[in-house]
Amino acid sequence: MLPGETNNKRTLARSVTACMRDVHLLGGLFLGPLAIVFALSAILLNHPSPAPDGAGAKRSEAVRVPAGIERLEGMERVRAARQILDQLGLSGEIGFVGLNGRARTLTIPVTRPGWEFTVRVDLERGQATVETRRRGLADRLHWLHKLPGPHLANIRGNWILTRLWRWFADATVYLLLAISATGVYLWALARAERKAGLALAGAGAVTLIGMVYALAH
Amino acid sequence: MLSWIDRWNRKLHTYAGLYLLLFVWLFAVSGLLLNHSAWPAAQFWRERRQERFQRRVELAAAGAPLERARDVMRQLGIDGEIEWLAPRPGRFEFRVTRPGRVANIDVDLTNGVAIVERTTVNAWGVLNMLHSFTGVRGGRPEALRDWWLTMVWSGAVDAVSAGVIFLALSGIWIWFRSGQRRAAGLAALAAGVVACAAFLFGA
Repeated sequence: MLPGETNNKRTLARSVTACMRDVHLLGGLFLGPLAIVFALSAILLNHPSPAPDGAGAKRSEAVRVPAGIERLEGMERVRAARQILDQLGLSGEIGFVGLNGRARTLTIPVTRPGWEFTVRVDLERGQATVETRRRGLADRLHWLHKLPGPHLANIRGNWILTRLWRWFADATVYLLLAISATGVYLWALARAERKAGLALAGAGAVTLIGMVYALAH
Repeated sequence: MLSWIDRWNRKLHTYAGLYLLLFVWLFAVSGLLLNHSAWPAAQFWRERRQERFQRRVELAAAGAPLERARDVMRQLGIDGEIEWLAPRPGRFEFRVTRPGRVANIDVDLTNGVAIVERTTVNAWGVLNMLHSFTGVRGGRPEALRDWWLTMVWSGAVDAVSAGVIFLALSGIWIWFRSGQRRAAGLAALAAGVVACAAFLFGA
């Protein structure tokens, strides 16, 4: 190999390393607060406290019920329910729209970080009762960790901020994978940490595989 | 003193990252699948295997429900985390869950016959269940961890979460102490903080 070619290879290697370092550093700094949100909320979900008792503040208002809402299903019903929420000045992720055909009422639970609203609509009288509960920081973290989630996936993400948060949650995962891959690359360059690093990576893999095997078999 | 802290902080950042690597990947990928249930890998429930069998069991007439359930499980050769179902007269019912498997056990108190409906899912289903397998439910304070492996896995969840928090904070320290890429680093960190604060408090 000619000296020029060796220099080119070294320059390329340095560029790749610098790029990896930047991805790891800058990606890690951006991801840090998001990762802390998910990690903290995971600990809180792992050790839940009892839900606070007591009813929330209530108010009643007349509303215009979209025609035929009882006959709608899925996202169409959610969109119709959204029209009722707009009249009440409420926004948030609609959990579901429950219809009690006999009583001719709708129940619409709505959540946003730190807030829970339960809207009950009397379809005959066109009257909505809104129960509002204020929740604390832990509940805000729970909301971010669990939404959008897998339940009622056909109507999930019916609030724009939930859809935006889904994007951030996905970005957290992809960045995490990129940061861990670049981290491994940077570690592999540092000869001093090779043995200890390999031992720990191996120990972590053995621990996880052992646990998963015991749990699943 | 600070150089000693810097050196050990960098070592621990590397070591923690390597030890937790596969744990973090597991929770990251399973979290992604939970948010995208339309993806093919998240469709594991369609490919579930279900079986049903019945067996006579000896059910203790008295005793704590947990002990009676564990006794029935031992006789049926089933292990896992117990979840209590709504009680029905003349039946002793509960569900046993472990990553990849769910068994509904229904003991007829009149004749001591246990009907077991067992559902098994594939590896994607195991991954899915591992993400949220904690043995507790937020809205049900009576649900407590009763299987030792659930406690081990729950401890692992805590450890991985604490490890991730450490990695984030130690990483910020490393950047701060290095003095490199100050402007870009500050911009990246600020963007992350603003994004979190906006959703936590601004939504």
